[in-house]
Amino acid sequence: MGSNVRHTNEPQQPALGLAAVLPPKQDEKAEPAKVDWLNLPCPVPFEEIQREAFMSLKPELFEGLRFDFTKGLNQKFSLSHSVFMGSTELPSQSSDTIKVPTAHYEFGANFLDPKLMLVGRVLADGRLNARVKCDLTDNLTLKINAQLTNEPHFSQGMFNFDYKGKDYRTQFQIGNNAFYGANYIQSVSPHLSLGSEIFWLGQQRKSGIGFAARYNTDKMVATAQIASTGILALSYVQKVSEKVRNLLKFLENFNAQNLYSHKKFWHLQVSLASDFMYNHLTRDVTSSFGYDYILRQCRLRGKLDSNGVIAACLEERLNMGVNFILSAEVDHRKKDYKFGFGLTVGE
Amino acid sequence: MAPKASLKGKGKAGKGSKGRKEQSTANCVKEWSTWAMKKAKVIVHFGFIPLVIVIGMNSEPKPSLYQLLSPV
Repeated sequence: MGSNVRHTNEPQQPALGLAAVLPPKQDEKAEPAKVDWLNLPCPVPFEEIQREAFMSLKPELFEGLRFDFTKGLNQKFSLSHSVFMGSTELPSQSSDTIKVPTAHYEFGANFLDPKLMLVGRVLADGRLNARVKCDLTDNLTLKINAQLTNEPHFSQGMFNFDYKGKDYRTQFQIGNNAFYGANYIQSVSPHLSLGSEIFWLGQQRKSGIGFAARYNTDKMVATAQIASTGILALSYVQKVSEKVRNLLKFLENFNAQNLYSHKKFWHLQVSLASDFMYNHLTRDVTSSFGYDYILRQCRLRGKLDSNGVIAACLEERLNMGVNFILSAEVDHRKKDYKFGFGLTVGE
Repeated sequence: MAPKASLKGKGKAGKGSKGRKEQSTANCVKEWSTWAMKKAKVIVHFGFIPLVIVIGMNSEPKPSLYQLLSPV
């Protein structure tokens, strides 16, 4: 009894020195919780299996000037105006890059509700990009994605029906050109989920099947995907955050007068990502490494590729709602250098 | 041409008017669905953004027309 009383008294004593800043090490010494095999968590949707890797390794790189203005009219409804002046690359058969200078203005309207999301963007030449996401019931979601153009036969549309079960998710897709697809992903253990997908292209009479696996813990995510189109993709993301954040918090206590300047590092999350892709039909192998620093005032992403491409993207928060963006991509093999800058105003 | 015509005649006589009806129903359905998709595409192309704006302007709290049109 005496020892029990002492244990309950400990947290009430004022903690001194380092113990005030560093978290107690209880979680490291806790016993691993027993696995409840009937209550596994719901897995991420199949198309987001490599979400963490894509966020770090595929930032939105652009060349030229970009200005985005989002004006909120109320909590759910907002309009956006976007101006872009720069070069866009045309796909070319040879190894030369063909760049065409373009300038466009895009108007957009967004309606975001918990149950219904409508996003529409229209360019000055009449191209419409529409996305609809509607929760038909608690578990069934309908998503529509469409790109409509004035030229005939260039429009594309896709309908997705998503069903979320207790520890599985399934999706059925219908697209133009008679595209039908379905995928299914199931949690097999608290950390591991396995999924598969099949698709059929009506116009070209092609079909394919693919399998995917995702293993994630609090600190890392590893995924593997293999498809009958001859593609194998592996990725690994490691999150480095907690200890670094607490170390900086501890340093801040020593510089108590300069609290404001140290607030730049308050919310620090670093992710390191690596990715490997092998295409059996074209015998193409690509691997890339990247990092993603999410700091309070800025977000810096960089990546290095085995094709000789180095890219970086910085989003700096200058003021409430004003973000300054810098983007750079240097392709040593093709001798293609792309630098862009821009400003994003609004949430 | 003549053997073809005779074959066609035999086929038609054999299956009767049912075959012709089924063929034309399938064609009708195809034509109408293509026509409907074309009209739907035009409607969505011109009407999606106005639809989003109308739904947004009717959501609570209702924004005013001035807020919609002014650039600030």
